[in-house]
Amino acid sequence: MSKRNSLLFNVVRSLAAIAIALIVATFLVFFSSTSTGFLEKLADTAEALEALLVRPFIKANGTFNSKAFLDVLASMIPIMFTGLATTVMFSANQFNLGSEGGIMLGAFIAALSAIYLPLPTIILPIVSILLGSLAAMLVLLIPATLKAKLNISEMVNSLMLNYIIMYLINFVLTSYVADRSKGQLVTHQIQKHAALPQLVGGGSKLSVGFIIGLIAVILVTIFMYRTRWGYNIRMIGKNQEFARYSGINVAFYIILAQAIGGILAGMGGAVEMLGRYNAYDWKALPGYGWTGITVAILANNNPAFVPFAAFFMSFLGKGTELMSTYSNVPNQLLNIIQAIIFLFFAANNFLSRYRQRLVVKSAEEEMASELGGK
Amino acid sequence: MSFIFNTDFFFSILRITAPIIFATLAAVISEKGGISNIGLEGTMMMSALFGSLFSYYSGSWIMGVLAAILTGMIVSVVMAFFSFNLETDIILSGTAVNLIGGGGTIFLVRIITGLTEGTQMTSTNSLISGKLQVPNIHIPIIKNIPVLGDILSGHSLLTYTAFLLVYLVWILLYKTPLGLKIRSVGENPDAAKSVGVSVIKMQYTVMILAGALSGLGGAYMSMSYARGFSQDMVAGRGFIALAAQAMGGGEPLGSMLSALVFGTAQALAVKASAIGVDSNLVSPIPYVVTIIGLTIFALNARKKEKVTNKEIKNTMEVIE
Repeated sequence: MSKRNSLLFNVVRSLAAIAIALIVATFLVFFSSTSTGFLEKLADTAEALEALLVRPFIKANGTFNSKAFLDVLASMIPIMFTGLATTVMFSANQFNLGSEGGIMLGAFIAALSAIYLPLPTIILPIVSILLGSLAAMLVLLIPATLKAKLNISEMVNSLMLNYIIMYLINFVLTSYVADRSKGQLVTHQIQKHAALPQLVGGGSKLSVGFIIGLIAVILVTIFMYRTRWGYNIRMIGKNQEFARYSGINVAFYIILAQAIGGILAGMGGAVEMLGRYNAYDWKALPGYGWTGITVAILANNNPAFVPFAAFFMSFLGKGTELMSTYSNVPNQLLNIIQAIIFLFFAANNFLSRYRQRLVVKSAEEEMASELGGK
Repeated sequence: MSFIFNTDFFFSILRITAPIIFATLAAVISEKGGISNIGLEGTMMMSALFGSLFSYYSGSWIMGVLAAILTGMIVSVVMAFFSFNLETDIILSGTAVNLIGGGGTIFLVRIITGLTEGTQMTSTNSLISGKLQVPNIHIPIIKNIPVLGDILSGHSLLTYTAFLLVYLVWILLYKTPLGLKIRSVGENPDAAKSVGVSVIKMQYTVMILAGALSGLGGAYMSMSYARGFSQDMVAGRGFIALAAQAMGGGEPLGSMLSALVFGTAQALAVKASAIGVDSNLVSPIPYVVTIIGLTIFALNARKKEKVTNKEIKNTMEVIE
C-alpha cells in the first residue's frame, strides 16, 4: 500500500473508532437522562454532549475556557509518563501492567524524600524524582526477572504487585509517616523548595512536569528508534524467536524494557506529586496506569504520538468531569468510552475490507503509473 | 492458636475460596483452549451487578443467578468477537472488559436504579433483602457430625456448586469429545484444524463456558458473599484466579488447591485484622503468596524438566 493511502487508512480507522465510541456514549447519555418526554431527553443529551466535547475548550458564553484547557494540559502529565512506560514494555511484547503500582510508589517515595531529606533547592526535587523512579524500577524488576529467567507471566505478577504496593504504602502511611494533627490520612507537608515550579499562575497545576514529560517523550523516541537497544527491544516484540536466533540476548532486553517502564512510571508519580500536591494523600491506586495503556494503544506504541494520545484522553477526562457537573451523567462514562475506543483501535481487522480496497487501489495506481511511464 | 484455628475459621476458608474457584475454573478452561482470559475480573463485576439487579426486579434469586450466568456469557462473547474476529489482542480486549467492569458498572447501576445517595451511589445493598440472596444449605446427617458438620454444613448453595464444578470441569476436559477438541485447539490449533476441528468455534465455546463460570463467581459475590452489588467488589479475584490456574499447572484439581491456598491466606488476613494487626499488612498476603507460589511452581517445573532431560539422555546412551 502506498504511504499516502496507508496514512489515509489509519486516519479513517481512528476517526471511525472514536465515532463509534461517541455514538455509544450518546445512547448511554440519552438513557441516563431523568427527563420524561422524548424531546426533553434529546435536549438533555445535546446539553451533556456539549459539556463533554465543547466545554473543555469554550465556555457557555462563547469565550475560550482557559482554566479548563490548562486543566487538560496539566492532567496530561501523569498519563504521558505511564503511556511512555507502556509503549516501551508493550514494544517488547511484555504485558507488564505494573505502571499503575509504579506511579503510586514513585509518588510516595518522592513525597517522603521531599518531606524528610535535608537537601538544598534544585537538588531536592531532582533527588526526589530520581528516588521515586528508582523505587518503581526496582519493583518492576521483580516481574521482569521472573519472566526472563523462569518464564512466569509478567502480567499476573505485575497485577499482584499493584495490590501489594498499595497496601504497603497505606501501611507505612498509617503507621509511620502520617501527620497525626490532621483529620484525614495524609503525610506532613512537602518542603516548599521541593515543589516543581508552575508554568502558569492561578492554580492550574500546569507545572514544569509538563516540560519534563515532553523531554521524556523525545528521549524515549530517540531511544526506541535511534539506538541499538531500542531496536533490539522492538525486534523482540516483533519476533522473539527470530531475535534469539540473530544473537540478541532476549532475557536482558525483556528485563531492560520493564526496567525502563518502571523508571518512567515512577518518574511520572514523582513529577505529579511534586508538581501538584503539598502532601501525599493517595490511598488507592490512581488509575493512571490503565489510562497509560489506552494512551499507548492510541499512540500505536509509538512514543512520539504519546503526547497527542495523552491530550485526547485528558480532554475526554475533563469533558466527562464537566458533563457530570452540568448534566448529572455519572463521569464513569469515561471508562465505557475508553474501553470502546480501546477495543476498536487495537483491532487489527477493524475496517479490513476498506483496507483491502485501498491496497487494491494502490496496486492499480502503481501499475497505471508504470504503464504510463513506458 | 485455638482462637484462630476453630471451626469458624475453616468454614470461612471454604466461603472465601468459593468465588475464586469459579473464576479459577474459568481460567483453567480458557487456558486449556489456548486463551489468556484476563477479562475474568470485569466479567465477574458485570455478572455481580446484573445478578443482583435481576434478583431485585424479578423478586427471585434463581432469576438473579441465571441473569448473572447469562451476563457472563454475553460479555465473554463480545470479548471473543473482538479478539477472534476483529483480532484485537486478547490482553487488550480483556483489559477493556475490566475497564467496563470497574467504572462502567457504577455508571450502569446509577442510571438503571436511579439511586443516587448524593453523587457517591456505589452499592445496591439497600435494595436487597435476605430472600433475594442465594440460600444456605444445611446438609442432613453431616450437619450433626461434631466439628466437621460446623465446617462443611450451612454454606451457600453456590459454595457447594463451586466444589462440584471442579469435578465437572475435569470430566468435561478429559472425558468428553468436546474437552478433547478444546485441548487440541489449545495445544496446537494448526493440528486441530487439519483434523477438521473448527478453531474459532472452539474458541467461542471456551469463552462462553468461561463466561458462565465467571458469571457464577459474580453471582456469588453480590448474592451470597455480600448483600448486593458494590463498587470494586470483586477486588482482584479475577486476577488471583489467573495465578491459581498457573500455580495449579492448569489442571482443575491442582488449581482448586491453589485457590484454597489463597482462600486460606485471605481467611488468615481477616483473622489477623480481627485481633488488631494492621489490615494493610495482612491484606496483601494472598497477593504475595501468589508471586511466591508461581515462582516455586516454575522452579519445580524447571527441575523436573532437567531430570527428564537427563533420563532421556541416559536412555539414549543405554540404547546406543
